[in-house]
Amino acid sequence: MSADIGSSSGAALKPKLTMILFSGELDKAIACFTLATTAAAGGFDVTIFFTFWGLNVIKKKCFAVSDSQNIFQKAFNYMSTSRLPLSNLNFLGLGPLMMKILMKKTGAASLEDLIKTARELNVKFIACTTSCGVMGLGKNHLSDDVDEFAGAATYLAEAKDASINLFI
Amino acid sequence: MNADKRLDCTGIFCPMPIVKTKVELENLKSGDILEITADDPGFEKDLPAWCSMTGEKCLGVFREGGLIKGYVRKK
Repeated sequence: MSADIGSSSGAALKPKLTMILFSGELDKAIACFTLATTAAAGGFDVTIFFTFWGLNVIKKKCFAVSDSQNIFQKAFNYMSTSRLPLSNLNFLGLGPLMMKILMKKTGAASLEDLIKTARELNVKFIACTTSCGVMGLGKNHLSDDVDEFAGAATYLAEAKDASINLFI
Repeated sequence: MNADKRLDCTGIFCPMPIVKTKVELENLKSGDILEITADDPGFEKDLPAWCSMTGEKCLGVFREGGLIKGYVRKK
């Protein structure tokens, strides 16, 4: 093992991977969850911190709109939804559709499958409270898979002990 | 090689063959040998790499045409 795992506590520490999922695009979310599931299967503790557009990946419904939101928040949640675009070649939603068909045909796991697998392997989900506040998102708007609602300090406390930290 | 359990991972891609290997291995006893058949070309490198991460013993990875057969002994 070449990974520097650190030795702050006496217990045998598992290697750890943390990721900040900032992007709300299908391809980047797939990359994030591919790494998360592989690391978790390889005995890593894995934490994903969802912030800004990354929250779209864990929205319960397409339009996370409610009466408690102001007009800007409603507008953002109508324009930025859980129907994730591709970061390239989106073509008004045709790109993701083609990509999903292609992945199904070739036997690659869908994002939904990867998220489900990640949860089965105990990958921890943290949602950023600041982003939630700005966008007017509450617990009711986000997936029940979210373990914690927290801020930057919580993420950094997790990242401090991790050997791999990625920003996607 | 005599395997105690066989796992078919053909038709699926990274990361699922590794995830399935991990889950399948949990159901085996220490010392049991798992044979995994896959057709994702990356699996040939990924299986030994995963074994080195987890401490499981990789007994070998063999290519048979388009198929890859890997053998893991549970620690």
